[in-house]
Amino acid sequence: MRSEIRTGRISLWQRRFRAMVLMSLGALVLSACGASTVVVEGTYPSPNIPPLPMTLGVYYSDALRAHVYTERTDAGKDEYLVNSGGSHVELFNTVLPAMFQQVVVLDDPAMANERGVDAVFIPNIDEFQLGMPQKTRLDSYEVWVKYNMRLTAPDGGYIADWVMTAYGKTPQATFGSAEGGINDAAVAAMRDLASNFSISFTSVPDVRDWLQPRLQ
Amino acid sequence: MRTTQKTMAGLLRAGMYLIVALTAGMGLGACTTTTIDEFRQGDTGLNTGESVVILGRRQGAAYETASDFVECVGTRMGRGNGAITVVPEQIFVDALFPWFEPRTAPMRSEDLQQLMAQPLVTDKMAEFGVRYIVWLDGQTETTNRMGSISCAVGPGGGGCFGFGSWEDDSSFEARIWDVSSHTAVGTISADASGQSYVPAVFVPIPLIARVEANACNSLADQLKLFVQGG
Repeated sequence: MRSEIRTGRISLWQRRFRAMVLMSLGALVLSACGASTVVVEGTYPSPNIPPLPMTLGVYYSDALRAHVYTERTDAGKDEYLVNSGGSHVELFNTVLPAMFQQVVVLDDPAMANERGVDAVFIPNIDEFQLGMPQKTRLDSYEVWVKYNMRLTAPDGGYIADWVMTAYGKTPQATFGSAEGGINDAAVAAMRDLASNFSISFTSVPDVRDWLQPRLQ
Repeated sequence: MRTTQKTMAGLLRAGMYLIVALTAGMGLGACTTTTIDEFRQGDTGLNTGESVVILGRRQGAAYETASDFVECVGTRMGRGNGAITVVPEQIFVDALFPWFEPRTAPMRSEDLQQLMAQPLVTDKMAEFGVRYIVWLDGQTETTNRMGSISCAVGPGGGGCFGFGSWEDDSSFEARIWDVSSHTAVGTISADASGQSYVPAVFVPIPLIARVEANACNSLADQLKLFVQGG
């Protein structure tokens, strides 16, 4: 009797073990087939700078809101999808209210006149690059982003159009995941953008020329 | 059957002796040598309510000062005899955003004067009661990796065999700025090195030289004395 019970237990454990092995293998096969998605998540501090006495309209294009960078393997297969659109919107929504007395988010730049804004700011991502430790042979994840910043009059007229770059890196942790490393490097790059943008905004030549009569 | 058992017992005993001998030998070897140098440029001292902030330099392309090391120095300075109030790095950098980011942080003490001209920065500094800013710059490098350890697992059990060793070198420099006078008041450097070993006979035994931890402790103790005017 005792022998039968023991046999029953062993077969139950064997069945559970087999199921676990099969499930693990299945998960491994599935994960090996698709690319990993990294939705960039981070917190951004508000800049300590005196706000400009003006109302700024900001328009986030669909391209910015839904920006996804695809990192491919040497064989051309999708490896990582870095979704930073939401985080970029969050970043600008934190930084701009500290830089301007009032900020209005516009669903359409054509609404600028009726919303009574002094200018419309339109940020866009031109290029996004990712440096993975296994490819760069460095002990860190790196993110480099090139932005196109545009400032227009409420009627759409030109005020300024300039390029900004941001760089962020994070050391490769011994037991850290690649997804975590990519996220931290992207957050560092966006923080770099925020610091550079908030300090240098009034020094952009065309912006400075436009601001000067308004600040007197 | 009995002969096989005896041979196995003999092997195990020999292995144990080897482990004990290696542990004793390497235990002496896995020590760290630390050198501290201090260069004073001005008088120091802390009044009641004043604090210190320790920040890591991260401008270099080749390396960046590890936040763990910065935290270690801060924690050590904030406890024990003559403990000092140390503002945590991340809280300070976030509160003074965007002025202490890698791209925007002041590089020279003269830049501090310019930065302190910003009323928002002065207010935040006063809020934290920061009297000294300590800039930490450096890293720990691992060199001379030697040996190898192989591990195997079979139905009857598993084990490792081999020997590995490496050398760690920590080199850090702390530059101290006085926020009240906007001047550099001194530099303290800490250099530490040590050899680590991992002998493995069935079980790997890591004998790690605590190089960075020793550099952290020595630097923190010296910094504590320095800012208090000792």
